[in-house]
Amino acid sequence: MTATSQEPKTATKSKRKKAKGFEPRIVAFCCNWCSYAGADLAGTSRMQMPPNVRIIRVNCTGRIDPSFILDALNQGADGVLISGCHPGDCHYSTGNLKMQARFALLQKMVESAGLEPERIRLQWASAAEGDVFTEGVKTMVETVKRLGPNPAGESD
Amino acid sequence: MIMAKRIALAQLTSCWGCDQSLVDLHLTLLEVLPQLEIVYWPAVVDYKLKDLEAMPDESIHIGLVEGSCRTKEDVHLLKLMRKKAKILVAWGSCSCYGGVQGLGNQWELKELLERKFLKADTVEDGRIPEEEMPGFTESVVPNTEIVKFDVPFPGCPPTSENTLEALSALLTGKPYDLPEKTVCDQCPKERKEKSITKFKRAHEGHIDPDKCLLDQGYLCLGFATIGMCGAQCPTVNTPCKGCFGPPPGIKDHGAKIISALGAIADMDPEELEKAFPDPIGSFYFTDYGASYLSKIRDKEREEK
Repeated sequence: MTATSQEPKTATKSKRKKAKGFEPRIVAFCCNWCSYAGADLAGTSRMQMPPNVRIIRVNCTGRIDPSFILDALNQGADGVLISGCHPGDCHYSTGNLKMQARFALLQKMVESAGLEPERIRLQWASAAEGDVFTEGVKTMVETVKRLGPNPAGESD
Repeated sequence: MIMAKRIALAQLTSCWGCDQSLVDLHLTLLEVLPQLEIVYWPAVVDYKLKDLEAMPDESIHIGLVEGSCRTKEDVHLLKLMRKKAKILVAWGSCSCYGGVQGLGNQWELKELLERKFLKADTVEDGRIPEEEMPGFTESVVPNTEIVKFDVPFPGCPPTSENTLEALSALLTGKPYDLPEKTVCDQCPKERKEKSITKFKRAHEGHIDPDKCLLDQGYLCLGFATIGMCGAQCPTVNTPCKGCFGPPPGIKDHGAKIISALGAIADMDPEELEKAFPDPIGSFYFTDYGASYLSKIRDKEREEK
């Protein structure tokens, strides 16, 4: 514990803060049935979007435990994007609504902890909405670029 | 005659309720006491820090550390206990998770000091004490992140029965494992399929004593809290505050609570959010110091 906490401190400052062209690392959780397919469509349709997002496929946004999101931020992700089916369209009928409720509480909690709630974003994009997914990613990347690197982040 | 085990009980920043709970064993204490040789217990006997410092390393069989590190002296005592004790027990939720005082991590140390010593309503001509003081730590982190512990033993406080059970196990050399169960498993109330349309404060409405408090819309955290206390609070119609912390294996108590609430609340997200004006206080009563949020904030501080 003590050994690791010493190391990244100096490395983080020199590498990431100085970097002019800050490229955020964003973790995206996409549900299998809508947004992952939507992201796939965006790719096959050659829609342009920034390459900052690392997608993790989950069966449903309802599977995403808020601790996954906090863990990602704690490990240094600059932002977390959650993308799922539109309300009413969930493959499992209500998984996305559960995520929506969790998200509301989580955002408020992150805010009261004195952290930036904008680092977490929830969006809906169906399998046919490659453009919506692309837009969401663009907006997220812009927002996070404006916020700057996650101060909790460690250099790679 | 059985060889008495040398035991040391150290108090860091805390309410000393864990000691109270141990002493509450009353006559049952007599069963344990002959097997114990108390070598350090400032809460009860007049020992000084130098007495502990003078002991040879690893000369104490069992060391119990209660409280968390709010001052630098606490950190010193904690590290000292680790050096002197063979088996170190994180005694109580403060020691395991940072305790109620961990909630202070939502603010900077400077803000906390100003609030307490300068801005409090009862303070006149306030000043922040600095002379002859050990100095404060920037934030409260669980003791388990400062030194290695052999036995986690949460509770706020652990009940007298818990304490007796743990002590007896340690004395006979048996392993002491935390239960995987939750408070709900110990609660006698009748549970149903959950669908909550409105959350109530504890003083609102009338509680049906036979039914699950959460089903009735009271935020009872028994479902996410380790079952050691015997469901003391829900049994007397008081919602569980989660003071014993989560069951083993749960990394973030509050995140797990949110996860469950999202699944059982049949409410608009906005309404749900409004129902909890202080989410950190409600979901991390004694373990905010151990939460991801607090860790992220600590890293931010280091960065600055």
